[in-house]
Amino acid sequence: MTLNPLNIILFGVVLLLAVGFYGLLITRNLIKIVLVLQILVKAVVLALVLAGKASGNLGLGQSIAATVIVADTIVAVVALALAVQVRRRAGTLDIARISTLQG
Amino acid sequence: MIENFYYLFLSLVAGFCAYRAMISKQLLPSALYLACVSALVSVMLYMLGAHEVAVIELSVGAGLVTVLLVYALSVIGDDTYDPTSIIPKPLAFLLVAATALLVGWMAYPLVSQPAANGEVLLANVLWKQRALDVWVQVALIFSGVMGVLGLLSEKTHPQEIHPHETQAAAEGEAIAVQIEREIHV
Amino acid sequence: MAAILIGLVIGLPWLGAIVLWRTRDETPRLQHTLAVAFSIAAGVASLALIPFASAETVISFPMGRFFGSLTFTADGLAVTLTAIACVIGSLAVVFSVDYMRGEEQLSRYYAFVLLFIGAMTGLLLSGNLLFMFFFWEITALCSYALISFYNDDPKAVAGGIKALIITQVGGVGLLAGALTTYATLGSYQISDLLADAGKMPAGILALVAFGVLAAAAAKSAQFPFHTWLPDAMEAPTPISALIHAATMVNAGVYLLARFYPAFEHVPGWKLSVTVVGLVSALITAFMALTATDLKRALAYSTVSQLGYMVYAIGVGGVFASQFHLLSHAVFKALLFLSAGAVIHSAGTRDMLRMGALGKQMPFARNVFILGALALAGLPILNGFWSKELVLEAGLDRGPLWAYIGMLLGAGMTAFYTLRMTWLVFFGEVRESLHVHDAGKAMKVSLGLLAVGTLTTWLLAGPFGEMLHETLPFHSIHRLNLSELAHEIFTAPATYVALLVVAFGLVIFWMVRNQPTVKNEAWMDFLSRESFGFDWLNRQVAARTVQFASVLQKTQTGVLSWNVAGILGALLAVLIFLVWSVR
Repeated sequence: MTLNPLNIILFGVVLLLAVGFYGLLITRNLIKIVLVLQILVKAVVLALVLAGKASGNLGLGQSIAATVIVADTIVAVVALALAVQVRRRAGTLDIARISTLQG
Repeated sequence: MIENFYYLFLSLVAGFCAYRAMISKQLLPSALYLACVSALVSVMLYMLGAHEVAVIELSVGAGLVTVLLVYALSVIGDDTYDPTSIIPKPLAFLLVAATALLVGWMAYPLVSQPAANGEVLLANVLWKQRALDVWVQVALIFSGVMGVLGLLSEKTHPQEIHPHETQAAAEGEAIAVQIEREIHV
Repeated sequence: MAAILIGLVIGLPWLGAIVLWRTRDETPRLQHTLAVAFSIAAGVASLALIPFASAETVISFPMGRFFGSLTFTADGLAVTLTAIACVIGSLAVVFSVDYMRGEEQLSRYYAFVLLFIGAMTGLLLSGNLLFMFFFWEITALCSYALISFYNDDPKAVAGGIKALIITQVGGVGLLAGALTTYATLGSYQISDLLADAGKMPAGILALVAFGVLAAAAAKSAQFPFHTWLPDAMEAPTPISALIHAATMVNAGVYLLARFYPAFEHVPGWKLSVTVVGLVSALITAFMALTATDLKRALAYSTVSQLGYMVYAIGVGGVFASQFHLLSHAVFKALLFLSAGAVIHSAGTRDMLRMGALGKQMPFARNVFILGALALAGLPILNGFWSKELVLEAGLDRGPLWAYIGMLLGAGMTAFYTLRMTWLVFFGEVRESLHVHDAGKAMKVSLGLLAVGTLTTWLLAGPFGEMLHETLPFHSIHRLNLSELAHEIFTAPATYVALLVVAFGLVIFWMVRNQPTVKNEAWMDFLSRESFGFDWLNRQVAARTVQFASVLQKTQTGVLSWNVAGILGALLAVLIFLVWSVR
């Protein structure tokens, strides 16, 4: 098994992905969830460029990565706006306490 | 081979920063660690040859998002919070580890044999092959601007009346009624 | 031209539904006028469509690979039923002008009636299984909304929910059939299914066939799904006449007739259809014997007559079943609407409180008797011809025991029909109800339906000809009127059947003066519980609720658990991929 740079970057992608997923699972703070989602998206952007490099069409990979960055930034902005409004109305950001569904 | 070490080093540091961002009990340090992750990722992107995306990532990921996070924190106050997880951590670890391993396992053969480079310029891809996407993204950016307006609109919302305030008001009213009755008697 | 007419037949009622939905309830006169105008226009368009009947696909919109093409085909089967739906629909709307006068929320009422008419025609004309399912579900929705029209009455709401749930359960069978067909043949077109059914693997074809049978049984309120129709009688009476007697409940029979050529060679399918028809016809005829609610008695007889049509398809008599469908739609709409006139003026549905109303409402009495005689199957009226055809088909091609059962059913039909008529219009005055005869708009629709009851059998020749010409996959044996008359009057089966009918009438005549006290306790019990099927329904509902309340505990509403669930699903997908790639 030879290690080329792409294998190492794949390792980085999986590492960021794992940290992001783990954070998403254990986090209870709404703003923190937005933040953890950002980590996941970094992994995805890196993976897209990596895929472009591996398949020899870096331009396509880059263009999709740019799309993902745009979309995700907007997700972050809207989610932050929602979190701020939730904090104002409910007085807390803890997802366990703002849940009103009766299980 | 020296390139491999660069990449390994960058990946490990990015992973460490991500871990710190995730685990930190306060939100401001988390935001700063996130900016570090973003910067390291953009360095890796640059080294891969994706110069344009690296620049976008650096300015948007490390710049704009961090600014927004810090701004949101300053609006609502950076309070420390209860870090205990709702679901058991071993379960979370198991799920994540299994998923990450499987993703790596699936993706490994795809990147072990890089294809011969037939480069297409990003500008060509963006404006010729994917022109429609670009225009849709322009519309998307405007919706992001709307989101920022939502974030900023603290003054326009009427102040919510807190439950204890209404309760106090009701109590006051009851006392007033009682006093009135006593006067009549 | 045919394309334009199809567009009008589906589009006009839907346009009318939108317009009426937007009208305000302060202007009832405008609402009545608009509803009548739109429904009559659709009725005229549907009649104009009849000469254009052909097996060809008239309209085709490509909808991408997954949905197939949205096609409409106006073949003989479809145009006939479309005409029934639109014409009886417009007569029911005309009748509603009197019946619903002074009611509130007319815009909701008329909007759903018109939405129903459009959806029903869409269901009939659609050549695409998936879109057929779509229209099928809209008719179920309208049926629910109109059964529960008086939505402050808990019985009406419960009846509506019951109808909705049971027809949905059956609808799953149609959806499964459509998707399975697509998966094996790569097409949703009904014509492709009819042409290539032989190429499908036998097990898969059987799945489709029995799925369609389940859907049809649920829609047509056949055994074991027959419990919803009597409870649907909480609807306003024009709705019962239109949806629950003349059109929507026929959709199941239509479905079976439409797919008959594809499924006839599936082992056990024809026998199952026969048994479903036979059992439905017999047990609901039995329940009609003891019913005291006028509308429920009519509902039982509807299920029973639908049982005859299903039976006819089961023994291979597609033409007989469709001919009986046509007759039944006309005379049952007549019966329901004249019953509606009685109920509207008497203010009760309990037949034990009525009696001797005939003198006060002669018009309603006369047309009701006409409908009742057609239902009993007495000569000259349309019910006679079609029922004889059904029974003859059963004797020729079906098992003998089923034929004997159906004969017994015919006798029971005669008995309960006469009992119904007697209790309402004749006998002694039991309670002095102040009634008045039907209003003007009511008389118009009743009169037209009465004329139809007297004459639609004359259409047997052209109808059979049209079915023969435009249904390439059904081998319809064509008969003109004189051949039909010759066949019916020379067959001994006819006289046997007439004898049984006369026997039923005579038995009733002998017990006519104690018809109300004759019910034994066990008979009442069996009828009230629909032979135990109501109990079964309640058990299924209770178990479902129990199961749901167990599942409810998994819905915590906490984000972390939701994310864990999503991640778990991702893991499952990944494991599946790794496993399947290897």
